[in-house]
Amino acid sequence: MNFSIFLLALFDGVAYAALVFIVALGLTLIFGVMRILNVAHGSLYAIGAYTTVSLVGYFLALGFAPAFAFPLMIVSAILVGIVIGAPLEYFLLRRIYQKSEVLQLLVTFAVFMILEDVQRLVWGTQPYFNSSALQVLGNVTVFGVTYTAYQLILLPLIAVVLLLGMRFFLRHTIIGKLITATTEDREAAQSIGIDADRVFLFTFVIGAVLAGLGGALASPTTSILPGMGADMIVLSFAVVATAGLGQIEGAALTALMIGLGRSFAVYLYPEISVLVPYLIMVLVLLVRPEGLFGSPAARKI
Amino acid sequence: MLELRNVNASIGIIPILRDLTFRIGAAETVALIGRNGAGKTTLLRTIMGFTTASGEILFEGQPINALHPPKRPGLGIGYAPEDRRLFAAFTIEENILLPAQAARLGKAETTRRLDRAYTVLPELRDLAQRPGGTVSGGQGKMVALARALMLGTKLIMLDEPFQGLAPALAQRYAEALRTLRDTDRSITLIITESNPSLLRGFADRTLVIERGEVAEGSLEPEGTKA
Repeated sequence: MNFSIFLLALFDGVAYAALVFIVALGLTLIFGVMRILNVAHGSLYAIGAYTTVSLVGYFLALGFAPAFAFPLMIVSAILVGIVIGAPLEYFLLRRIYQKSEVLQLLVTFAVFMILEDVQRLVWGTQPYFNSSALQVLGNVTVFGVTYTAYQLILLPLIAVVLLLGMRFFLRHTIIGKLITATTEDREAAQSIGIDADRVFLFTFVIGAVLAGLGGALASPTTSILPGMGADMIVLSFAVVATAGLGQIEGAALTALMIGLGRSFAVYLYPEISVLVPYLIMVLVLLVRPEGLFGSPAARKI
Repeated sequence: MLELRNVNASIGIIPILRDLTFRIGAAETVALIGRNGAGKTTLLRTIMGFTTASGEILFEGQPINALHPPKRPGLGIGYAPEDRRLFAAFTIEENILLPAQAARLGKAETTRRLDRAYTVLPELRDLAQRPGGTVSGGQGKMVALARALMLGTKLIMLDEPFQGLAPALAQRYAEALRTLRDTDRSITLIITESNPSLLRGFADRTLVIERGEVAEGSLEPEGTKA
């Protein structure tokens, strides 16, 4: 492996890890607070991507500048959170918090299946592609290797800002504190006047926005087509499980591990590259069933 | 100020409270005495809305049965559960402040109430910056009382506060409750306890709870206080 291939694999891995982390952050936040593994998270990711491509295509056709793609990504993510995430929590998940985990998993899986079909209904099966945002930022050359600034600088930067922002939000803002308290002990939180129902709704919407944002940010770098949600939920679940469910910093580190593992495998052993994330997960869980950073008993976010 | 009418409550399918009816007057200190499993904790949790209950619960004349549980503390009810349930992610002072933040009290009002809590429990000032998970059981009970004081402007309910306290700490805790009553003459206190001797001389009235029923004690406040 020569140096430029090494750099290329490194950059691929970092860019990919950043995207996966953003999606996994939403998944692990929802799990940490609500103890629900939301399989439909993958659909929210895909719908975020589809919405972004549609909006960007629409507005650029109207003559807007390509840079307008960036605010549209944020709009798409928020739309996903409010239009799909909020009703999903309010009308469906709220009824199953006290039910068994198997039922919860089946319900969110059913939602995932339904949303997959909704995507085919709305967007069809032909792939969409719009890389305006990628082109706006241009390329950077590092040690002779040229890479897009969008993937090498912007995506990792957003991932780091979200990681630090989430930590600050949960520890130092009032809403974040109410979320943290509800996570630790729902009844104790309610007994001091914290409305746990509203905390759950709010948390779920934030998680859904993160899934949508992941899709929005991924959209310029990949073809948007059916099945992308399934790929992402499996991968982000691998990240979250390897880190330990509910572990935010851990998810960042395992996303990097899995992203790099996958991208180096693409160059070194392409035959097993798809397998690598899950190999890492299996190896980690064999040694530490609670995940790299998880503890078997403590519940926190 | 608090009235229960034919309250039944169950946990799962097991009935815990049976047809409870009694009244508590404003500024009264009522001791609820009963053995483990008699239903004391369930009674307090029912008033807070955490059980499936039938019958009527009136707070200051208004039925609160249908009121969403997290709205109840906002009426002026402070509740310190038995297992003190501090939040480990926060410092002691953050723990105490949480109810005020949940209720979105203004800065001035929050400071006023925090001062009230520190007046009753001045020793907590020294612990203010300690993480919630690192204090002893007795200190935790003090913090839970301080936290209950933040919204408990009218009624404070303490579930077995003396349970497991070393004698010196128990004395200190009782002293804090006296300070509270001296500084706030209108406060109503409900304290559960399994040992009847601990609250003798402190409570205005004692209700003995057995198998989810009032087995002994007056169901009405004393005439002077009703």
